[in-house]
Amino acid sequence: MSLVLAVVTPLLCAFLIPVFHLVWKTLPVCLVGVMGLASLAASLAAACTGWVSPAASLLGGWPPDLGIVLVADRLAAPFMLLTSMGVATSLVCSLEKYGGGPWRYYAIFFLLAASMNGILLTADLFNLFVFYEIFSVAAYLLVASSMSWQAMEAGLKYLVLGTMGALFFLLGTAFIFMATGILNMALLPEALSVVPRETLTVISTCLVLGLALKTGAFPVHFWLPDAHSSAQTPVSALLSGALVKVSVYALTRISCLFFLSNGGGVFRVITIMGVLSILGGHLMAFRQDDIKRLLAFSTVAQIGYILVGVGCASAAGIAAAVFHAINHMLMKMGLFITSGDICERVGTRSIRAIKDTAGVLPANVAIFTVFALAIVGVPPLNGFMSKWFIMLFSVTDTGLCPALAIAAGTIISAAYYYGVVSALVGSVVRRNTGSPGNNDLDSPTVSASSVITGTFAVLCLLAGLAALWPPMQSSFLSIGETAVDIEGYARLVLGK
Amino acid sequence: MLMLGYSSAVVIFCTGLYTIMARRNLFKTVIGLSLMEASVLLVIVTSGFIPGGVPPIAPFRGVAVNPLPHAFTLTAIVIGASDIALALAFIVKLNKHYGTADIDKIRGLRG
Amino acid sequence: MNIRLALSRLASMILCLSFGMLLFQGIAALDMDNRVTGAAAHYLSNAPAETGANNIVSAILFDYRAFDTLGESTVIFTAVCGIAMLFPRKQILHSARGLSFITRRGIGFVAPFILMYAAAIILTGHLSPGGGFQGGTVLATFTVLMCVVYGSGFESTHLPPWKKDLLESAGALLFAGVGLFGLIVGTGFLSNLSAGFPSGAPGTLFSAGSIPFLNIAVALKVGAGLSTIFYCMINIVEDRRGS
Repeated sequence: MSLVLAVVTPLLCAFLIPVFHLVWKTLPVCLVGVMGLASLAASLAAACTGWVSPAASLLGGWPPDLGIVLVADRLAAPFMLLTSMGVATSLVCSLEKYGGGPWRYYAIFFLLAASMNGILLTADLFNLFVFYEIFSVAAYLLVASSMSWQAMEAGLKYLVLGTMGALFFLLGTAFIFMATGILNMALLPEALSVVPRETLTVISTCLVLGLALKTGAFPVHFWLPDAHSSAQTPVSALLSGALVKVSVYALTRISCLFFLSNGGGVFRVITIMGVLSILGGHLMAFRQDDIKRLLAFSTVAQIGYILVGVGCASAAGIAAAVFHAINHMLMKMGLFITSGDICERVGTRSIRAIKDTAGVLPANVAIFTVFALAIVGVPPLNGFMSKWFIMLFSVTDTGLCPALAIAAGTIISAAYYYGVVSALVGSVVRRNTGSPGNNDLDSPTVSASSVITGTFAVLCLLAGLAALWPPMQSSFLSIGETAVDIEGYARLVLGK
Repeated sequence: MLMLGYSSAVVIFCTGLYTIMARRNLFKTVIGLSLMEASVLLVIVTSGFIPGGVPPIAPFRGVAVNPLPHAFTLTAIVIGASDIALALAFIVKLNKHYGTADIDKIRGLRG
Repeated sequence: MNIRLALSRLASMILCLSFGMLLFQGIAALDMDNRVTGAAAHYLSNAPAETGANNIVSAILFDYRAFDTLGESTVIFTAVCGIAMLFPRKQILHSARGLSFITRRGIGFVAPFILMYAAAIILTGHLSPGGGFQGGTVLATFTVLMCVVYGSGFESTHLPPWKKDLLESAGALLFAGVGLFGLIVGTGFLSNLSAGFPSGAPGTLFSAGSIPFLNIAVALKVGAGLSTIFYCMINIVEDRRGS
């Protein structure tokens, strides 16, 4: 099965939605569901190809140095699995909340899915830039889709910082083209080794700065809390769960391919950004009263953990970072969906106000507590496992400072998550002990989103236990080895 | 000739960057983005230039310049234009709510 | 101007200047040999034979790197879809009156030539500088001209928003369809001459395989899209004047 179908299927769905809208004023839910299933199937097929038998697909039939190549290998496969799960979950939650009405929202949604697959599969630097721009424009629009003034402001801030990041990335690409004349990511590591040192500094600064702006690492993270907290619940879950991981993939791929053998300063910068994100994110989250903003700052901190793993520049560190990325998707999507449900029932997003209400369901609080324990890092849940591995490998590869930051961050996150959970439990206690008049908010419905969050909670436990199992550890290690194996990537793309 | 192109591109890029970082009016931020984009495109196009070259349209009447930067520039112009159109749309909608385009007053989301 | 503002501006200026010096050093360190090497050299010598197009930039955009062009037209599609989402048009206004009688008759004489110019740019994209993007922009500018001269009521009768949505989707589906044809035939997504598109003699109007089709697809997409952006955003000004 050709890899290009993973990109073209969601793209076709998005192009067909305006045509369907002319026929049916409100899109039937099963139509959107079928399109979602088709895109999911194509992405999962590409992910399986990448895991089992890594392959490259030449577009237009041109040889790799003339045309564009799509490649799926063991580093792209877990990210593709992650993003397709995230997109499917968010689509189900959106369909449940909004039905088939907002057709432009669904069109932009499918375009986002197509662009994420494009970023994960491409082996050409300028193609990466083009698909990154589709991804970014779709993300800005999804943030603004709720049309409230907060969403507009968050969308504008995201747009300005994201476009600056894109322009820095394009400048880095321009310098690469000036220096080497090549834009194929498999041919570049060798070509970059003969480039003069000052030009290599400029290239690495521009590329890393551009990707850091897009990822939301600490010094330039200003758009992330606003965007993730002002968006609607399914969009926030998708943003925190899947979108930031795609940016981390791009950063990992580019740093490993171009700068692993050419300039070691890049990985030190990534580690420093990671440490700053951990401390900054957790400290800012501690001060928040709005529950969604707290979760958004928590995302900044978790990106810091992943960046510390990537900054190790070793197979083990990158494998631990990928494991944490998958775990974070499960935990954060669950947290956002559950808290979205809670806030909708109670009518407020302020933690102090939630404590004084009585409308929260015990089931929601139980699932929220599982995710909160996982993200803080309580054994044997998956959050503890991945943080432990990152600490272990960062001590051997980069020194003691990141490990101390991780430990400090865990303590601070325990403090603020305890605050949230105690407010929720307080609300449940009020509900059970008194106020008989509030029972109209009662009906515990089994909605699709609650089924999904329940499944994620179980998966958190299973993933944590599975991390202790040696075959699982060795498959994750193979992800890291694929990331640092530059010759293997070149062989796969160039077909030698 | 090439160095003139590159130097002016660097100057325009830094001007655009300074405009985004230091100016308060949102429209000036958009102008800054536009300047940065134009300078990056200037770098790309200048990198393909060959002094005394002819456009890359067959049959050539001399040495043809590098056609790849032209293709990249066409793509990047369209992408930049879409970004700026979207930025202006956001500013128009924000102006409706706040009544101003001053970034110091558009700080509803804080902390 | 208070001290904090002045200091922050000074800091920004120093940051920008140092970044500029870094960029300049990076450029100065490269030695420019003024030759075309690598893939670009292959394109210059082989593109008319391998793709059938005389305009090598069109050959790169719509044949060698056509996937990039698909992505780029998708960026425009996304931006247009988003702007239409941000400015929902629940009713179409007929409030503007347009310009004077002389202008309207005069533009009526000029309009066919503008459209012919746009069509020439689009259809000869593989022979001379031009192509789908440039021609599509001329088409969109034509609709803007119509709005200025005849008022916004012109658009609601001749090209309502749903027709523009349909045109845009048609262009996008044509592009993807040409690509899928290559995939079904077996030679790869978005392949041109190897998928069986007729090559024709280089230099004539009917040549270059699928490149004219892709040009038309992109022109539809860009023209309809930019026109939608204009009509979505101007109606706001008309709202305020009307109310």
